[in-house]
Amino acid sequence: MLSKSQARTFFLGGTGVFSAAFLALTFDTHSRIPARTHTEAITPAVARGKRIWENNNCMGCHTLFGEGAYYAPELTKSVERRGKEFLRIFLKDPEAMFPGQRKMVNYHFSAEQIDDTIAFLDWCGKVDLNGFPAKPPLQKTIVPVAAQQMVVTSTREVPAIFTEKTCLACHSLLGKGAPNMVMPNLKGEMVAVPSLDEVYKRKSRPDLVKWISNPQAIKPGTPMPTLVPAVVSTAQVEEIADFLMSLNPSAPPTAAAPAANAPGSAPPPPAPAPAAAPKAN
Amino acid sequence: MKFKSQKIAYWFFASAMLLLTLQIVYGFIMGFARIGYDVLHDWIPFNTARAVHTNLLVVWLLTGFMGSAYYIIPEESNRELEWPKLAWFQLISLLVVGVIAVVCYHLNIWEGRKFLEIPRPLDYLVVINVLCFLANIGMTLWKGTQHTTTAIVLYMGLLFAALLYLPGMITFDNQTVDSFYRWWVVHLWVEGVWELIMGGILCFLLIKLTGVDREVVEKWLYIIVGLTFLSGILGTGHHYYWIGTPKYWLIIGGIFSSLEPLAFLSMAVYAVAMAKKGGRKHPNQIALTWSLGCAIMSFVGAGFLGIAHTIPPVNLYTHGTLITAMHGHLAFWGAYAMINLAMIAYALPQMTGRKLWDTPMTSWAFWTSNIGMVGMTGALAAAGITQVTLERRMGIDFLAVQKEIEMHFIGMLLAAALFTVGIVMFIITFFRHGLPSDEAVGADVAGDAAWAAAKS
Repeated sequence: MLSKSQARTFFLGGTGVFSAAFLALTFDTHSRIPARTHTEAITPAVARGKRIWENNNCMGCHTLFGEGAYYAPELTKSVERRGKEFLRIFLKDPEAMFPGQRKMVNYHFSAEQIDDTIAFLDWCGKVDLNGFPAKPPLQKTIVPVAAQQMVVTSTREVPAIFTEKTCLACHSLLGKGAPNMVMPNLKGEMVAVPSLDEVYKRKSRPDLVKWISNPQAIKPGTPMPTLVPAVVSTAQVEEIADFLMSLNPSAPPTAAAPAANAPGSAPPPPAPAPAAAPKAN
Repeated sequence: MKFKSQKIAYWFFASAMLLLTLQIVYGFIMGFARIGYDVLHDWIPFNTARAVHTNLLVVWLLTGFMGSAYYIIPEESNRELEWPKLAWFQLISLLVVGVIAVVCYHLNIWEGRKFLEIPRPLDYLVVINVLCFLANIGMTLWKGTQHTTTAIVLYMGLLFAALLYLPGMITFDNQTVDSFYRWWVVHLWVEGVWELIMGGILCFLLIKLTGVDREVVEKWLYIIVGLTFLSGILGTGHHYYWIGTPKYWLIIGGIFSSLEPLAFLSMAVYAVAMAKKGGRKHPNQIALTWSLGCAIMSFVGAGFLGIAHTIPPVNLYTHGTLITAMHGHLAFWGAYAMINLAMIAYALPQMTGRKLWDTPMTSWAFWTSNIGMVGMTGALAAAGITQVTLERRMGIDFLAVQKEIEMHFIGMLLAAALFTVGIVMFIITFFRHGLPSDEAVGADVAGDAAWAAAKS
């Protein structure tokens, strides 16, 4: 059996060897980090964003590179997932975007601070993380029928307002935006976020305007955020409603929809269950 | 207790109990927030509660380690503590820094990196504080008439813990590099040098409680801490899978973190074997129960539940989920909380002269807190597995999944209540011992001298 001095040698020797190996690997890792993390893309804004991230202890709720707390979403790919505009609006007033859900502190960031934070998150999203976060391997099998996407071949352009005002962070429209989004409502039920392609079949124009202006008044508990007037002005609501109504092939062509019936645009495909999705929440 | 200056340990232990109580309070704040009762959000948002919860954990464990060192080092070195007044200054200043840090968190003042949240200026105060501590016990050890392996391993553990705090104080603009060195502190503490501290304390307790020959106990201590470093140093690689560091860390981290349970397993086997081998039935059985419990639960929590999610293909989906919280709770409880409680259970009768080691409440405290903690771990496991399946494997939205797992947190809160009952009983027993007394100095409270005489 080992003697005490042999045991000591095992301890000291092992520690020495593995510490040396660790230091050598640390050195090698340093030489590879610039290429893997795009060090050249760390602008002053990214560096400032990192300070904001730290000075508010964002890791106390969120994870970044999977590190942090587990109370709020993982943010590594947040810019890719939601888009900068969504994050900008969200950071201005977190609770407006997810009414009645788990709360985030409103830090009253200035516009510059918000831009810096987004620059930092954007940089993080581009670091080579060896495949993290992984694509959910079972995702395809559980897409709710009501949220399945139709193939849209329309040549209509999606107006910029839909991206700028973050509609497409959750909804899809003419093949753009977020397909198959599922959100919890206030009762904790999962709600399939409907595509906007055929809103005209489900709502009249006045109803649509009322809905966008104050979703909670119409369907208490809906995950649809109240964006009017903080983010979307009443004039913009009209603009959004105009466009969505103009998608109706039988609608009279308006100024907002010059290409509604342009040759080559596909006829509206049959809806799988047009009214089912919104009724569900 | 051999020396008067060992009494200072009592105050470190008492402070640790206070901090543990506060840690539990903040744990409940988070638990209630998770089931929808985040009523304190405007004053104590989740990130504040979380930072206070984890920082108090680290501080109470360190306070306990320091108290243990102030008890063990004079005893092992066979002389009074070098500067007893410095120890008082060090305790008070440590608590002051701790209180300032907690106040800062409530005012949204942070360094804001996971586990290293305290604002940078306070880091320097911590460094000064720890230097005072290391100088004090170091000088005691240096001037001592004997230099035991137990004392040296304990001292080395504390010294390296202090040194490894420093890489966490460097500022980087690159999040990857930042995270790389943050783990030098966090990982190399809890899966490296803290195990040295734990091993040293456990070794001291086994020598005292089982009566096995010191040479045998200490030989195995070397083997165990050897295994710890053999696996733990490169095991740091399991934190380098997904943070922007090269791919070879998946292989290195995977292999060496698979070896990490070996150190904990050998610790558990070692403690149980020594207890069986020991020729002595020490009157303070509850201290031995805590010691063995520590060795076994650290294997379950840190070893077994650790390897359950450090293999890269598993970790790809479990990384950054409640699975980590599940592992964290039982690992810290088993390895570091229980070793402190074992040390306290052993040292209190020695310091106060009151033999409260065989009251019903002492064993109720042990079992209730352990069953409570296992229950909490089970609830977190259920929540974590559900989260991984729904969010990471099926791609369901984060908040929707959080709604799904809310009920597991009700279970967690119930188990936490049981755990708290156990801790309250432990603390009641703690204070029933009364204050440390000069009459206990040199008194043979546990009949050590009589036993040693009978043995020879």
